Amino acid sequence: MMRVASAARDAVRDARAAWGPSQTLLAVITAAALLLPLVVRDQLTLTSLASWAYLALAAVGLTFVVGLGGMPSLAQGALLAVGAVVAAVLRADGDWPPVAAAAAGALAAAVAGGVVGVAVGRVRPAFVAVATWLVAWLVARGLAEFPAFAGGAEGRIVPQGTVAGVDLGATLHWEIAVLLVALGALGLAGVARGQPGLALAGLRERPAEALALGVPALRLRTAAFAAAGFYAGLSGAFAVQLDGIADPAAYSPVLSFTLFAAVLLGGARSASGAVAGTALVGVLFWAADRLASSAGVATGRLGTLFAAALLLGALAIRSETVLPTLFRRREEPPAPVPLKAPRPARLEARGLEKRFGGEPALTEFDLDVEPGAITALVGPNGSGKTTALRLLAGTVAPDLGEVLLDGSPLPRGSQRTRARAGIVRTLQATQVFGGLSVLENARVGAGLHLPATGLARSLVATPRARAISRVSRGTAVAALREVGLDGDAERAAGHLTATDQRLVMLAAALAASPRVLLVDEPSAGATAEDVARIADVLARIRDRGIAVLVVEHNLGLVGRVAERVVVLDAGRTIASGGPREIGDDPAVRAVYLGGRVISTKTPD
Amino acid sequence: MALAFQVLVTGAAAGAVYGLVAVGHSLVYRLTGVVNFAYGDLVGLAVFTTLLVAAGTGPVTQTSIGGVRFVVALVAGVVVCTAASAGTYLFAIQPYVERGSTIGWVGATLAVAFALNALVALLFTRASYVIPDPLPFRRVGTGGYFAVGDVEVQARAFFVIAVGIALAAAASLILARTRFGRALRAIADDADAASMMGVPVQTLVAAAFGLCGALAGLAAIVAAPSASFSTQTGLLLGVKGLLAALLVRFGSPWRAFGAGVALGVAEAAIAGLTVAGYELGPEYREVLPIGAVLLLVALRPPRQALEEQE
Repeated sequence: MMRVASAARDAVRDARAAWGPSQTLLAVITAAALLLPLVVRDQLTLTSLASWAYLALAAVGLTFVVGLGGMPSLAQGALLAVGAVVAAVLRADGDWPPVAAAAAGALAAAVAGGVVGVAVGRVRPAFVAVATWLVAWLVARGLAEFPAFAGGAEGRIVPQGTVAGVDLGATLHWEIAVLLVALGALGLAGVARGQPGLALAGLRERPAEALALGVPALRLRTAAFAAAGFYAGLSGAFAVQLDGIADPAAYSPVLSFTLFAAVLLGGARSASGAVAGTALVGVLFWAADRLASSAGVATGRLGTLFAAALLLGALAIRSETVLPTLFRRREEPPAPVPLKAPRPARLEARGLEKRFGGEPALTEFDLDVEPGAITALVGPNGSGKTTALRLLAGTVAPDLGEVLLDGSPLPRGSQRTRARAGIVRTLQATQVFGGLSVLENARVGAGLHLPATGLARSLVATPRARAISRVSRGTAVAALREVGLDGDAERAAGHLTATDQRLVMLAAALAASPRVLLVDEPSAGATAEDVARIADVLARIRDRGIAVLVVEHNLGLVGRVAERVVVLDAGRTIASGGPREIGDDPAVRAVYLGGRVISTKTPD
Repeated sequence: MALAFQVLVTGAAAGAVYGLVAVGHSLVYRLTGVVNFAYGDLVGLAVFTTLLVAAGTGPVTQTSIGGVRFVVALVAGVVVCTAASAGTYLFAIQPYVERGSTIGWVGATLAVAFALNALVALLFTRASYVIPDPLPFRRVGTGGYFAVGDVEVQARAFFVIAVGIALAAAASLILARTRFGRALRAIADDADAASMMGVPVQTLVAAAFGLCGALAGLAAIVAAPSASFSTQTGLLLGVKGLLAALLVRFGSPWRAFGAGVALGVAEAAIAGLTVAGYELGPEYREVLPIGAVLLLVALRPPRQALEEQE
């Protein structure tokens, strides 16, 4: 009882803290929309409005996949059809009550969405589009060819029902649709701000970096598709009862395109955008109908033509990376949650070998990365340094040899299992999630060891999900403090200097509480001043007891911070030792350094 | 035996058109990493332009058309399709590829597809159309059909298959033997390097889009009189060509063409197929291949999974 009461108090407090102009606006618009049937008495108009409101619900659902996930899904119409057909069959043949039939339709579509998500969870966006396009055709052709589902060419009649004794007519449908869109919008916003939303955004912006931070791509993308399916199914299951008939012709790939266009027209980032986009398409269709009837053109295609033309124009003039900054809320800076001191870990490579197309990129590679020390891996371009990092991080599997953590061999596994074991890698080049804030970048890393909240919990913002969110924000702030960027937490990461972006990447990795940190060329293109900052940060990370392996070109940086240096040439280790020994090694000087000596002077 | 022959010929004739669309999808994917969702409707545009020039938008019979006018119509159809294909690349694909926006080109090519589809449907309002045939196939055999055993085979089908093979050979030859083809292969290999070597990448890719449109458009026009053609037919041709291209992972012209023919034959065969004592029937002919290719994509994801996008 006490726990429930305190959870409720927390919920109210969080809601009040999170309440901003956009929440007020949502409440006002919802209330106004609910009162609309007092003004609009015409049942036909109301029916038409309600069916567009249901489409808006499906568009809000599609935003999980297209907006948060960055995956061009063309299957939303097909998922809507699944919900519609399940509900139609249950209503017509099973005599289920309307709401139960709708719930069943939504669940069926969520499962179907999940299946699609599993199928496309690991492919790049172009193939997500291809596969979901085929799903749209599979469902459309299947419904047209198999009368058992939707009655074939004649369609399947769905009887009108009652909800709590009230006839489920146009008015009640409109009220239901408005409430569902409002709740759906709240759910989407909750997920977008929460841990799953950030991880999805990370995958969208820089998939390789997100995977290196241990983001579970397949699980998240499956969940995003399942959520999209749930919304679409709910939309279809109610809309089919509004229409009174399940008509296979209504679920052609045109529907999927219309929903996709609506989401893109609205900016593809927020629920309000999806609703606005759907409204825009609705107005276009209405205008097209009026125009067609006044011009005597007998066609329903004019609306599609208008929507397609508008989409072409909108895409041409806008780059999608511009986030709608309307109502971007300034949140209170969270209290830092101190980073945990890592258990000391020792990473070893034994006899690693990797070939690409027959050419050995790395052979007989042995390495020890000690806790609380920085090991540097140097060598000319193409000597196999990055390949070594990728093998250690589990990005690619070796042809021969093994990687050991604390003496026991690591299974050949995904980057996520390695990351969960404490081995985290940052990528070469600047790979921040440019559309996210600095704090959010670090939060993507902080999610690694947090319990999975799941989309469902985030949807309804359970106390547990909110507690996890607080830990994630606190950990991220602590990690940013470690690299000296806590003052820039709210800035867009993509607007920082190259060096600051590298430091953001290090902070994201730190927030993932690594025991071993693999850093790929942290100082590429940095000025002397920046190199000093990076050296300081690397030293601080080492002093936390983390085992650090740095691939680096800048020998000044190596000489300043590394305890041990390993030199690679043409895929083989040619020398290893302290920086001074390496600097004096004639073989190293001949092969790689061309006479230059590693500087061991410390500037002070 | 005779039935198998009929299935083979009918299926291969339909599949020859799928095959040329697959050739286009494969080449375009190799060149740009893009799947042109407007391709099917561009092919549909070729057929309907030919119909418009040959006979207008009214009802047509198979015989009501002279040879010269048809040739003019055919050229018009191919030219419009070529230009529209190149335009699709320049305005709906290239800007987004340059920006690195997959959602951009997916949205833009789909918008082109549905805009073309709606435009054609505004002019051609009937459910389906007969495309006139200037060649006198109906005088061959009995009303255009040969009797083979106890089944009949359309004489036209052989012509369509032959034209399909000739066009696939042309595509293959152009890629293998001409300077244009060599430049395209260089672009497919490494567009940046080709550009640095002075290859005018954008112009050549646009030309390749035009060529793909011309080949598939011509094949579709040649095949169109064999059956009725609706505004949805083009859209479906694009999807089936894509299925065939996915089967051979956007392979060489001959492989893509072969996959298209195989898909056509499979579709024709599925209708009469009996699985575990249950006769499948024609309703399975489109659904089964789509499901099978989807399964293939899911179980053996194409190259360049997420990890490789560093």
